[in-house]
Amino acid sequence: MQITKRISSPKAWLAGTVLALSAAGMSPAMAQEGLGTPEEPIELRFLANESFAATWQKTLVPEFNKIYPNIHVSIDGVPYPEHLAKLMLDATSTSPDYDLLLVDDPWAPQMATIGALVDLKGPEMSAMTSDDYDWDDFHPAPLASGQWQDKQYAVPVRANMLLMLYNRSLYESAGVPEPTPELTWGTFFEQAPKLVQDTDGDGNVDAWAVHTFFTRDQLTPTIWQTIFNSNGGKLLDEDGKPAFNDEIGVAALDTQRRLLDYAPPGALGHGFSESLQTFRQGAAASMFMWGSVYKSTAGGSDATTLTEDEVGIQVMPVGSVSAGAHRGVWSLGINSKSEHPEAAWTFLQWMSSKEGEALNARVAGSFPSRLTTLNNPAEPWAEPLYKAIENAYDVANQGKMWRIRSPKSDAAQQILADEIARALAGQATSQEALDTAAKRMVRALR
Amino acid sequence: MSTDTARRPRRARTQWGDLAVRWSFMLPTIVLLIAVLAYPIWYTIEISFSSFDMMTFGAGEWIGWENYAYVIEDYRFWESLWVTLVYLVFALPIQIVLGFGIAYLINAEWGGRGLLRALFIIPMVVAPVVAGGIWRMLLDPIWGVVNWAFGLVGLGPFDWFGDPNLAMATIIIIDTWRWTPFIVLIATAALLALPRDVFEAAKIDGAGRWATLWSVALPLLAPIIAATFVIRWLGAVKMFDIVLASTLGGPGKATSVINLFIYEEAFRSLNFAESSAMAMIVLVLTMLLTGVFLIGSRKLEKMY
Repeated sequence: MQITKRISSPKAWLAGTVLALSAAGMSPAMAQEGLGTPEEPIELRFLANESFAATWQKTLVPEFNKIYPNIHVSIDGVPYPEHLAKLMLDATSTSPDYDLLLVDDPWAPQMATIGALVDLKGPEMSAMTSDDYDWDDFHPAPLASGQWQDKQYAVPVRANMLLMLYNRSLYESAGVPEPTPELTWGTFFEQAPKLVQDTDGDGNVDAWAVHTFFTRDQLTPTIWQTIFNSNGGKLLDEDGKPAFNDEIGVAALDTQRRLLDYAPPGALGHGFSESLQTFRQGAAASMFMWGSVYKSTAGGSDATTLTEDEVGIQVMPVGSVSAGAHRGVWSLGINSKSEHPEAAWTFLQWMSSKEGEALNARVAGSFPSRLTTLNNPAEPWAEPLYKAIENAYDVANQGKMWRIRSPKSDAAQQILADEIARALAGQATSQEALDTAAKRMVRALR
Repeated sequence: MSTDTARRPRRARTQWGDLAVRWSFMLPTIVLLIAVLAYPIWYTIEISFSSFDMMTFGAGEWIGWENYAYVIEDYRFWESLWVTLVYLVFALPIQIVLGFGIAYLINAEWGGRGLLRALFIIPMVVAPVVAGGIWRMLLDPIWGVVNWAFGLVGLGPFDWFGDPNLAMATIIIIDTWRWTPFIVLIATAALLALPRDVFEAAKIDGAGRWATLWSVALPLLAPIIAATFVIRWLGAVKMFDIVLASTLGGPGKATSVINLFIYEEAFRSLNFAESSAMAMIVLVLTMLLTGVFLIGSRKLEKMY
């Protein structure tokens, strides 16, 4: 996609001319100021998560450079536990290294509050926005991940949702009907004992009903929260005070504890990797997990024993109000101290455009956020997945199923991680754990 | 002018020159220590008495003891200190006893003991993250070889990382596997340095292996055991990596040692001011206890 700008001001008109000239291959030095020239290319640096930084560098950047050869993009990967601290450190530096900042779902408020990100819908950036850039094509759920206080600080570039993956073979061998999006928690627990089974007939149980996050980690509370939200619970009240230590919260935590009865031995010490590994080895009939693992789990890698036909995917079971889902979207923003905002926005627009997103989905397996991409999966395997994702977006949007939106969201999430882990380990009752979390969170969110 | 008066300024010049040379050798180290030790400690102290300003990512307004008061009221801080204490109380004596015991046993003359000593070094050179990962695989309740082996004799399966009580034992086992060889090396060197004549005299007097150990070797080794304890204590009190790689402090808070908790407060929750206060409290406690251990160690040296 070639970015062509809205000509609404003299500056924008000039910029539009620049791009038009660039498209025609003329590239006059004066006109190319913001987008580089062959003699003086713009160097953009992009801080991303290590899990996919190298893939983006290898697959997306060369495609971008076919259209914008004078903008060099260098993507650095950082491990998740250090990502936020590195973002904050760079953004608050007087001479930051990075022009483009990738923020996880709960981080946009804290990055915006310290003035680290540019408002992408503000007048300055709007003047540089392509006419073709279709904001309305984004599903509101992932787009909201990059918003804070009515401003758009980042755009979704790699969406994710907590979903239910299930092993069709294990459901069949247990004689249990396959789950549907209408599956309730009640039915799930009725079926669970049958799904704990001995599949090879050696007298030992070798497959369990469910696996998910149980270890002491920031992801573990997302399972509790999804159950809580699907039963109509809200994390914070109208005044922004913790409201989760009520009957609904306690019942949701009891439900997560109950999952342990049907999970493999050692599940209490298991997180993302172990639960995924168990499911991929065909030892768990269902798994509540980030949907992005679908392709590599359903026959898409050497790490799995499951085939594409064996793996089903859908929203998490239905509570008293709705089905369950939980948003986890990576959004990309522009550093407010970047010396190249125009080039950075050009790259970001390209990456999140209809064409860029489709390419990102196809070559890097990123979940799309645009309705156009969701409704036009490039490959057959993506059809059930995109259907589940869109359904999950709707559910999440309706039940506000995301982590706390606050400049202190990570501190709040760590408190939940501590207390949910204590309850799951039997070191506190569900009520005690949630009461303690609520008390501590009042100070954390101050 | 007498020869003496001529020599005096020259001697003074030589002394000053000597001093200057000595300081010039020490200066790079002093600068390095100030840069990597004194400045970070001072900065941590400054942050611990301030609010943390996210806009500048540095110390903000001076708030006195507020962060310390918050930390002291935080039950998680005390729980983590308790967990660390439990770990230290079990891990250190086990490692010291095992280390010196193994060293005593392999000290006897036999072929291949050099190779065995070399093999003992392996756990020490394995990266903690790798060690944690390997042990996670070995102790996995479903696929782990350890539970399979126990199963052969009708024991288990044990939930090594999922049972809150067993998880701490697991951490101690991994840490012992990793650090006992270090103590074996020190103890072996110490045993080789012991005076042979005392042992020969004990043998002539008819002392058996056990009596020789109890009445000769141990008293002679006491100062070294004490010094080894202090060295290992300083390493063990920093326990962090194995826990991070294997249990993440769980299940619940069962293995949440203090350094992991401080790390999480700082880099996960971005509570840098509070975590600095915690770090300072732990630093002071560690210095006090190290002082006590050093005094004890000196007393043992004098006693034997």
